[in-house]
Amino acid sequence: MSDVREALRAWVRDHNPDVPAGEPADGTRLIECRYLTSLQVADLLLFIEELRQAPVDPASLKPGVFASIDDICAAFF
Amino acid sequence: MDVPGLRWLANGQSVLSGPLLALADRLDTQFLKWAADFGAGDYRFPTFLPASVLERIDWFRSFPQLATLPACLDAGEENLARFTEGSPVVDGAVRPTALAPIRDVLTPAACYHVYDHLAGRRLDGPLYLTTRNTCFRREERYEPLERQWSFSMREIVCVGTADETHSFLEAASAEVDRYVAAIGLPVAWERASDPFFRPSKNPQYLMQQVDPTKFELVFDARLAIASTNLHHDHFGRAFDIVRDGEPARTACIAFGIERWLSAFVHHFGTGGPWPS
Repeated sequence: MSDVREALRAWVRDHNPDVPAGEPADGTRLIECRYLTSLQVADLLLFIEELRQAPVDPASLKPGVFASIDDICAAFF
Repeated sequence: MDVPGLRWLANGQSVLSGPLLALADRLDTQFLKWAADFGAGDYRFPTFLPASVLERIDWFRSFPQLATLPACLDAGEENLARFTEGSPVVDGAVRPTALAPIRDVLTPAACYHVYDHLAGRRLDGPLYLTTRNTCFRREERYEPLERQWSFSMREIVCVGTADETHSFLEAASAEVDRYVAAIGLPVAWERASDPFFRPSKNPQYLMQQVDPTKFELVFDARLAIASTNLHHDHFGRAFDIVRDGEPARTACIAFGIERWLSAFVHHFGTGGPWPS
């Protein structure tokens, strides 16, 4: 699971070059901090599918599943 | 329902008069009091909104089905002559000749004007504004007071930091909760999403599913009479509104005045007396 967390962290940093060093932590609120916006959310979903090697039905997404790296791991891995 | 003071028009609009019009004004006075509690300045914006403003937030791709566009004939004399020499209106439908470029939209939501008005501003504290406008939304069907082509919307907008916008929505919702409890109006807040065109293909819809930012105050489990909307930095980025060096966060609470009228006449009766 630590590989997954690190991959997610790298994805966030790749999409947000201004993220401060050490961020995002596992509990960082990704949407509140604007590390994840509506323009990126579909890309993140594809990345999660790639990481877990299984599809995700967008219609099944529940509130809060992208709130933090902790929440993403709990919901998809 | 036969409501004194309401005349329903076939084109999805209503005429208000008498006690019903007075109630609409009283309700708006109540909304203005809440706006005043935040120190919100009142703005009266025009009916037309430049299409370029809505293009900044990609509105046309998200909500094309709602758009009402003010069309004008091309002003060339020959074009106008062709228009007048034919049958300008057939079966109630205008038969235009060449049209001038359409550069405006009839306001679909009152608060859009606010963000355009603040474009380029640098803020060092929270800013609260209120505005009321006649809004236009094309729908498949219309119902008196509840789903109209044109209707009145009062909005209170907060522009500030993330914490300030959250606090604003919390405080504004609490004000509304106290009011509806005091008058005994059966309503409840429910999670909602905006009516995106082809929602499954719209990333903003997907985002609203995972990050609920819109809640509606629903009367009698069927009619949304108000909504709270957290926009994060969506408008701050699009309109270059900056708070303390960062794109400003915005939030708004919106009241559909005709829908409040419908809730009042359904719950308290068509002839009043209505709660003061």
